[in-house]
Amino acid sequence: MTILEKLLTEIRQGGTLDTRKLAVQLNTSPQMVEAMLEHLRQSGILRTYESCDDACGGCSLRQSCGSPKSGKPVQLWQYVQPH
Amino acid sequence: MSDCHSAPVKTTAQLVLRDVSLPLIALAGQPNMGKSTLFNLLTGLNQHVGNWPGKTVERREGIFNVDGDEWRLVDLPGTYSLTANSPEEVIAREFILREQPAVVVAVVSAANLERSLYLVAELAALDAPVVVALNMMDVAEQEGVCVEPHVLEAALGLPVVPMVASRSEGVRELLCVVQEVLSGKRLIRPHSAEVSADHYEILQKIEELIAGYVPLPYPENWVALKLLEGDVEVARMMREALSPSAWEVVQVVLRAHDDAFMAVASGRYEWIGRMIRAAVTRPRIGQIGLTERVDRWAAHPFWGLVLLAGILGLVFWLTFTLGTPLQGWLDGQIITPLAGFAADALAGAPFWLRGMLVDGMIGGVGSVLTFLPILVIFFAAFALLEDVGYMARAAYVMDNLMHLMGLHGKSFLPLFLGFGCNVPAIMGTRVIDSWPARLLTILIAPLVPCTARMAVVAFIAPVFFGVNAIWVSWGLVLFSLLVLVSSGALLNRVIFKGQRSAFIMEMPLYHIPNARTIGLLVWQRALSFVKKAGTTILAMSLLVWILSFLPTGDMNTSFLARFGQLIEPVGKLMGFDWRLTVALITSFPAKENAIATLGVFFGNSAGSGLADTLASTFSSASALSFLVVTMLFIPCMATVAVTKQETNSWRWTLLSVFMLLGFSVTGGIVVFHLARFLGL
Repeated sequence: MTILEKLLTEIRQGGTLDTRKLAVQLNTSPQMVEAMLEHLRQSGILRTYESCDDACGGCSLRQSCGSPKSGKPVQLWQYVQPH
Repeated sequence: MSDCHSAPVKTTAQLVLRDVSLPLIALAGQPNMGKSTLFNLLTGLNQHVGNWPGKTVERREGIFNVDGDEWRLVDLPGTYSLTANSPEEVIAREFILREQPAVVVAVVSAANLERSLYLVAELAALDAPVVVALNMMDVAEQEGVCVEPHVLEAALGLPVVPMVASRSEGVRELLCVVQEVLSGKRLIRPHSAEVSADHYEILQKIEELIAGYVPLPYPENWVALKLLEGDVEVARMMREALSPSAWEVVQVVLRAHDDAFMAVASGRYEWIGRMIRAAVTRPRIGQIGLTERVDRWAAHPFWGLVLLAGILGLVFWLTFTLGTPLQGWLDGQIITPLAGFAADALAGAPFWLRGMLVDGMIGGVGSVLTFLPILVIFFAAFALLEDVGYMARAAYVMDNLMHLMGLHGKSFLPLFLGFGCNVPAIMGTRVIDSWPARLLTILIAPLVPCTARMAVVAFIAPVFFGVNAIWVSWGLVLFSLLVLVSSGALLNRVIFKGQRSAFIMEMPLYHIPNARTIGLLVWQRALSFVKKAGTTILAMSLLVWILSFLPTGDMNTSFLARFGQLIEPVGKLMGFDWRLTVALITSFPAKENAIATLGVFFGNSAGSGLADTLASTFSSASALSFLVVTMLFIPCMATVAVTKQETNSWRWTLLSVFMLLGFSVTGGIVVFHLARFLGL
């Protein structure tokens, strides 16, 4: 099984996955996982949700959703079931 | 060649357009790789900017002089790949195929080669003479990424030139290499990516089927590869080039292997992986090592949950241990004397004015404000966990638990938002595509204990349960989540029917918390609470007082008492008198109103504080029942409004309200009688 297929298998199993853990599981770098996720998104296999909107002001997960420190919004990737 | 490397290359930009006799150099690369910087550096201000024919995509072109030789430079649109996903990608590949530039300079980022190399793999497949400009070496160095250009060059089979375009470093070397390629001194033999082994025969079959029919200048093997990838533009071209029967045969093969696009991409990522392993070193930094060590426990499916429960218990312990004495002090030393002082000062004022200010305003809002220290400690504990980076782990392990229970992964994030406030939780369900799934999440979201509900628990629990308040609070949160998970699992089985989906999140590294960040978060949340106390809670306190005063001036014969006595039979089943029942109902505009209403009723009786009066008036069984009902009761007015907005249906909104009312009343009755049975 190729690295991309392994990634897709992990995603198909569902749940919340962490890019760094996925990288360890796939014996690659988090950057490689991110690149593949981006590729799958462009291919329409994954959908991405960026950050939370202003409604999350009081939420304790707010920082995780869009880290003001890094300035980089944490992306949430959702697997799209093929029809 | 040696001359070239030892002497500076003189470049002169001129505005000469489309002189087709000049060597054509194309700049390719993904967006934000420094391609435009390099283009501007080489062509200066003398460049022509227009549009690509028939497109709104910008075309930039210029001519520059290198040691007396003029070259034409075209800046291709920034693209991630060369598949027909976007107009930019079609423009870039059509240009390379049709115009056949003498050299394609692929600008890649040394700091993120994993992402950059996909385009290089595609360029190499086009048989274009590619020179790799390994840009952003400085950024890579800053991030601790070590790239060995010579090793990468050997692995790719393409010339690789390290550079920092923003500082003009490496530009001379890049032009030297381009010169060598143009003059034929340097031959390019790329080590191209292969389609994954299990699809190799299919690729060959497609090549055989289209052989001899592929229009020029498209290479047959490239067209076969693009057909496997499902490229719509190439498919359209071949449908026109082949006879209908031949195209149908190709289509049959492609339909039988509709996963082939994955095989092509897989082959490229395997190739990228080999390049990275050969040429890139990312030293493990201490912070990553620490994060991984901590996450072995914090993100473990079982121990992660145990740790989360422990941390939650610790937060409650800290909150009550530090906050309750402060709350008692505020109540006894500030609010009660203030009420006494106000009563004395207003001795000559009309009875109704004194009652409204002392009992309504100070009794109601004052009581709510006394638990500000409890909330500040609670907020500070969560802000600390958030800033350290733990909250993302809490989300991670909770989601695992929810999956074990059969709850849908898509619903998790909005549900987790509910710990802050149920309103964004319900708005957050917009990420769920399936309407039944979204609806179910909206229905169960109010069962997540929000901050306002936790504030009521934080006030009532220590009053009745003393040192055991931690365990009561902890148990109430777990009980709420158990009800949520049970109802979610049941509904999931009936309506979700086993669909699976995944959220992939990037968990932040653990780091030392920043006092300023935590302070700011606590300040913002505390301020928001105080503002609420000064508006919604103040208005409700005054309304409750007015209704408890009119029409006779005696609370026991007031409108509120009559209403409370009307619904008291239901309250009695849960161990409530009419005042507790009314307090519960007044929590509809805002959950904290329950405390404010109790403050109006009991706040300043016989000079003692609200806490003491409550403890001597109600049994622990009634208090426990009240807390359970509060946790499960109909959500606040804002949550109901947003439920109506998101479902666009009064039917579903009322169903949500009545479902939670049913849960809370049933829960209250069971818990009250169980507590009585246990002697509480």
